[in-house]
Amino acid sequence: MALLGFLIGFPLVIAILLFCIRNEAARSVLVIGGAIVIAVASVVTVALHLSSGFVAFACSSEIIDYVCTAIGVIIAVVIVYFAVRFKNILAGALAVVQVVLSLVFEFGFAHGVHVEYGLYLDNLSLLMTVIIGVVGSGICVYALGYMKDFQAHEPEGAKDRRPFFFGLMFLFLSAMYVIVFSNNMVWLFTGWEITTVCSFLLIGYTRTEEALNNAFRQIIMNLLGGIAFVVALFLCAIQLNTLTFQEFLAYGLLAPAAVTLAVVCLAFAGITKAAQMPFHTWLLGAMVAPTPTSALLHSSTMVKAGVFMLVKLAPVLALSPIPSTMVVLIGGVTFLLCSCMAISQSNAKRVLAYSTIANLGLITACAGVGTPEAVWAACFLILFHAVAKSLLFLCVGTAEHHIGSRNIEDMDLLFERMPRLARFMMLGIMCMFIAPFGMLLAKWATLVSFVDAHQIVLILLLAFGSAATFMFWAKWMGKLAGIAGEPQNVELTVHKSEWGAIVTMVLLIIVACVCLPIISALVVEPYVYSVYGLTGQGISDGNLWIAAILSALVIVVLLFGLERKSKAKKADAYLAGVSADNEARTYRNSLSQTQEASARNWYMDNIFGEHIITMPAHVGTAAIIAAAFVYAIVRLFV
Amino acid sequence: MLVNILIGTVAFALLAPIVGCLLAGLDRKLSARMQGRVGPPILQPYYDVRKLLGKENAHVANTEGVYIVCALVMAIFAGGIFFGGGNLLMSAFVITLSALFFIVAAYCTRSPYAELGAHRETLQVMAYEPMVLLFAVAFYMAAGSFNAGAVFGLEVPAIAKIWLAFIGLLFILTIKLRKSPFDLSMSHHAHQELVRGVTTEMSGPTLAKVEIMHWYENVLFMGWVGLFFVWGNPISLVLAVVVCLAVYFLEIFIDNNFARVKWQSMLKWSWVVALICGGINIFALALL
Repeated sequence: MALLGFLIGFPLVIAILLFCIRNEAARSVLVIGGAIVIAVASVVTVALHLSSGFVAFACSSEIIDYVCTAIGVIIAVVIVYFAVRFKNILAGALAVVQVVLSLVFEFGFAHGVHVEYGLYLDNLSLLMTVIIGVVGSGICVYALGYMKDFQAHEPEGAKDRRPFFFGLMFLFLSAMYVIVFSNNMVWLFTGWEITTVCSFLLIGYTRTEEALNNAFRQIIMNLLGGIAFVVALFLCAIQLNTLTFQEFLAYGLLAPAAVTLAVVCLAFAGITKAAQMPFHTWLLGAMVAPTPTSALLHSSTMVKAGVFMLVKLAPVLALSPIPSTMVVLIGGVTFLLCSCMAISQSNAKRVLAYSTIANLGLITACAGVGTPEAVWAACFLILFHAVAKSLLFLCVGTAEHHIGSRNIEDMDLLFERMPRLARFMMLGIMCMFIAPFGMLLAKWATLVSFVDAHQIVLILLLAFGSAATFMFWAKWMGKLAGIAGEPQNVELTVHKSEWGAIVTMVLLIIVACVCLPIISALVVEPYVYSVYGLTGQGISDGNLWIAAILSALVIVVLLFGLERKSKAKKADAYLAGVSADNEARTYRNSLSQTQEASARNWYMDNIFGEHIITMPAHVGTAAIIAAAFVYAIVRLFV
Repeated sequence: MLVNILIGTVAFALLAPIVGCLLAGLDRKLSARMQGRVGPPILQPYYDVRKLLGKENAHVANTEGVYIVCALVMAIFAGGIFFGGGNLLMSAFVITLSALFFIVAAYCTRSPYAELGAHRETLQVMAYEPMVLLFAVAFYMAAGSFNAGAVFGLEVPAIAKIWLAFIGLLFILTIKLRKSPFDLSMSHHAHQELVRGVTTEMSGPTLAKVEIMHWYENVLFMGWVGLFFVWGNPISLVLAVVVCLAVYFLEIFIDNNFARVKWQSMLKWSWVVALICGGINIFALALL
């Protein structure tokens, strides 16, 4: 238990120090040192508790309860302050509603309910611990170099707000640990709200009009989820007289009908946090923030808290049809439509954002299905998405600072201009969408679980969505792979801290892909077994090993097999026999002028464009959620 | 299972090129006859590849050759997994990986014609992929296992339950075999607006490897077709071969009688067919 306390407390201490320290060298030491300690502590925690299964720790304290209440009030004050300052009435009103509800709850209801075991650990928490501790703190290290360049690009005399930025990053990690370790639902809720407000502040970091608008959109959507969470707390305390998460889940398994509304509320909170349709726009807006923020929000924190909640609810969802239908449909539809919309985007960060939302949709759908196979798949989707997506964000961030654009079209010839980075980016892309890499194996397990659960609609959504996924990743990868002429290598000035973080992610991908069968046997299978008493590996060990061997093969070729030197003769590209300068791909046109032959990517905007898909998607998904709430409320009173 | 797949991979690596080469020769002969020509000898594809292998190695981009070798190796693995009785989905995924390497090989040359072909090839994958997945799912629901080897334990061939998915598979097979009207990315017909597309910049030994890869692919896809008709009775293997030949003939017939369609039509129709044939079939199986 000391380790748990350390993992929650240590990033908090670092965060407080970072808020105070303005010296750049000291900050670097603190960030790198802090990140290493957190990563090591996470790995040690995993190593020590891997075989212990579910453990609850007796931990209850009036003081912590009051601290949670105080944090809730501070959060509300912060939001109201910004809402007043930037004149956003809705955000302020929602924050007031939430804090009033939670104060009423705290002083009117919660005190009668005692939670003996405030903290717990199981293998899902351990999986999240590694993701938060290694991926999350890796991103913090990356941010050192990135924010240095970022600050240099700011106008002269701009205020250096980096202490604030780094403080928030570490605060975020601490709050994530609170979420994954808390058995006391009030503490869990506090961690939940801290992540909401941290991402609000991080998105609005640049204080431009766009950033502020997007930050407020995020806070409004997530406050809705937060209010639903408080309602769930009321229901738990009044109906079930418990605020222990495990007891709530156990009760849900015994009497699913009694907890329908509470589960719908918690699932709704998870859906808003995991940026599922119709709330996906907050995550799209979040990309105005500096890239490390996006990496953190997308891969190891924030949205992962949302799907963590949903996966926790999975066994209960499997037994309660209404919340399950809501979660399954929202997740499945989000996966298909966001994969399609990603085709129409040329902004690399926007493609990544849509891909994140789509994959979270898949995890959401798995949680909704709730069978052991589906939960197995969801765990691996969480793991591989975290490592691959963080790598991709970091690569895009570095590329952006060195080629001056985050547009995929401008990543032409990156294979030569930034040779190492391009290969890493290609590895990240392949890990996201193609066999034999982890993400696709997880999708495969997802498919098997959908078939076994007879979820025909989900099978169709998955089949078409995966096809769209192929399209947008393959064309991006093709753009990176291009070779022509001998462009200048521009990656020599990349900061060491950035390389350090990127290489860490690459190693994580390699280890995760090649050791997938071992991770399954040691971490995920025991978790599934501890929850269901059944094993849930939808893919046989033999197939997992074949995939592991094939992925090792592909990784070796990609990282070491594509060297520049070759004995083969260099030939000219075919330009219909009228080339002017073949290296530059220019030719003589029919007016004898020199013209460049260049191909742009294919975006199919009039089929998969946002302007076509977004509106019906919003209406449809909002209707699904509304129907689930209406049904659950009616059931409560009838 | 791993041993079976290993044996399957070795056998497939050695035998499939022979079958594939003969199929390709048959294709050219039949096509010629349909067009009122005599056509080349049956072994012409073999002579072509032998000659290509003897040519000088020349590249526009030196990574092209590496990607093509990867594509070829993955095609062999995909076939080995399938004919070794392994997992159908795994086989489908690995052949998609092969397709990806082929596409990236075209992209990396950064030649306008090859890039256009690569774009279209990517679109083709997107068009046929849903039906491939639904075919595997339908097979699983009919045979009770994703393993291709499971057919030998069946009492009735899978076609009895999943004939609708079979029709869907036939439809997208035209894309997979690069036959007109869906030969958008590259074609054997010289009158098309883009003839070589993906393979524009591939020459000599690299092109030879591409041809051999197509032989492997064709044998694998015919294996998928035959899978529908095999059951516990060994004679069913003969039936499967006959059906494969009939399907191959049908594809050649279609190839010679249809004009290339626009990509919008290809995408629309292959998704509609996947939704109807695949969707209804698995829905019916789930109800039973």
